[in-house]
Amino acid sequence: MIRILDPTLATAAAPATAPRAPRAATLRGATLGLLANGKSNGMALLDRIALHLQERHGVDQVVRVEKTNASAPVRDEDAELLVKRCAAVVTAIGD
Amino acid sequence: MGAVTTRPGLDVSDPWSAIEACYAQGWTDGLPVVPPTEALVDAMLAAGPWLPDHALLHEPVRDRSVTAEKAAINAVMAGCRPEYFPVVGAALLAIGDPEFMLHGPATSTGGSALMVIVNGPVRERLGVNARANLFGPGARANATIGRVLRLVLLNCLDCRPGILDKSTQGWPGKYSLCFAEEEAASPWEPLHVSRGLPPASSAVTVYAAESGHNVLSHGTSDPERLLTCFADAMAGLGSLSPGRSVIVFAPEHAAYLARAGWSRRQVQEWLYAHAWRSMADLKRGGKVEPAFFTNPSLVDWLYRDSPAGPPDPLPGPDDAEDVRREDEAVRVHRGLGPDDILLAVGGGEAGGHSAFFPSWSRGRSVPFVTKEVPI
Repeated sequence: MIRILDPTLATAAAPATAPRAPRAATLRGATLGLLANGKSNGMALLDRIALHLQERHGVDQVVRVEKTNASAPVRDEDAELLVKRCAAVVTAIGD
Repeated sequence: MGAVTTRPGLDVSDPWSAIEACYAQGWTDGLPVVPPTEALVDAMLAAGPWLPDHALLHEPVRDRSVTAEKAAINAVMAGCRPEYFPVVGAALLAIGDPEFMLHGPATSTGGSALMVIVNGPVRERLGVNARANLFGPGARANATIGRVLRLVLLNCLDCRPGILDKSTQGWPGKYSLCFAEEEAASPWEPLHVSRGLPPASSAVTVYAAESGHNVLSHGTSDPERLLTCFADAMAGLGSLSPGRSVIVFAPEHAAYLARAGWSRRQVQEWLYAHAWRSMADLKRGGKVEPAFFTNPSLVDWLYRDSPAGPPDPLPGPDDAEDVRREDEAVRVHRGLGPDDILLAVGGGEAGGHSAFFPSWSRGRSVPFVTKEVPI
């Protein structure tokens, strides 16, 4: 028999995963985060979604964060802002 | 075979079933791979300076790390000889540099290839082709070193076509796009020296490339006439963007520039100055999107060489595509300046065929990154 080695990360040590945040019980009166990924129309799409969520589900304030570049990870300070202020976050690509 | 191993993998009966097993597992780029046996992987690892668990590449958006051992497995599969591994590792370090922002070129609809340009003494030692057909088939080092990057993206970063790799079309350079610079035919210092490394070092320079354009010129040795062809290719609306450019001059074209005494900087400045289209042309071709006018960096690109600066107020979403009389005089250049044009030399002795590779993306795309090969 020949052993061939696994070229994938499937069996490698899993990256440290953050625990999932608890689901928001309601959006009524909540602060909603919008995270656009840096594409041209991401925030335009998210603003429409936020409007619907305000009208239909009583979302109160909206916090907007835009990545500087679609290829880059979200900045630490932006991620912290969303964690601190928002009950839920919606993200979108909006190319 | 040797002692019982704890390294994860598959047990197969013979090399041919190993090749088929790799297909069945989805571990290939579509071409057959060399079965990564432990002995071959250990020999690959031993040829580099990295410990097996050293992370050669960390992709921050999805938090994935590729160790030297995983890189070595994929290098064996790609067909590399062990002595190629220091170049493979340097290329992985380069595409993993945070500046390179790999997530975009690895996944975008733009379908870019990861270009690797090799400089320095390692070219001769490994036989990385810089001469005839340097972008095409025939040289093991070119074919396999570039292939490792794609296999790592497929196998370690899960960039599967149509799933995470959303390339609308892609292009054949995505299998492998690795070549050496023909330093002896260059009018200038080698590429890696121009990027700050010592002449005696070996290096790789990486770039996220759209498919290359042949720039054919057999009719002139005059540098400005010759470069007119390049500037015209660079100004094509299909690829026009604020992104970077790679030009690989054929030795024949390089010799004309050398004879005329043109410096690298002079060529970069001339090409930047002449690779432009009018704002009116961009609008006629639908290349100005309404959202561009809400993006300060794109407004800067569109009007950076316009003496009058951006119109005040800026066009709104409804009239962004309207061609105005003043748009005829606004020159929109490829890239943001001469430094965005990387010049290298390569190809056979005969023929006036050079190449222009546009950056991937309709935006700024990612930078050139150069890393020394640790030998």
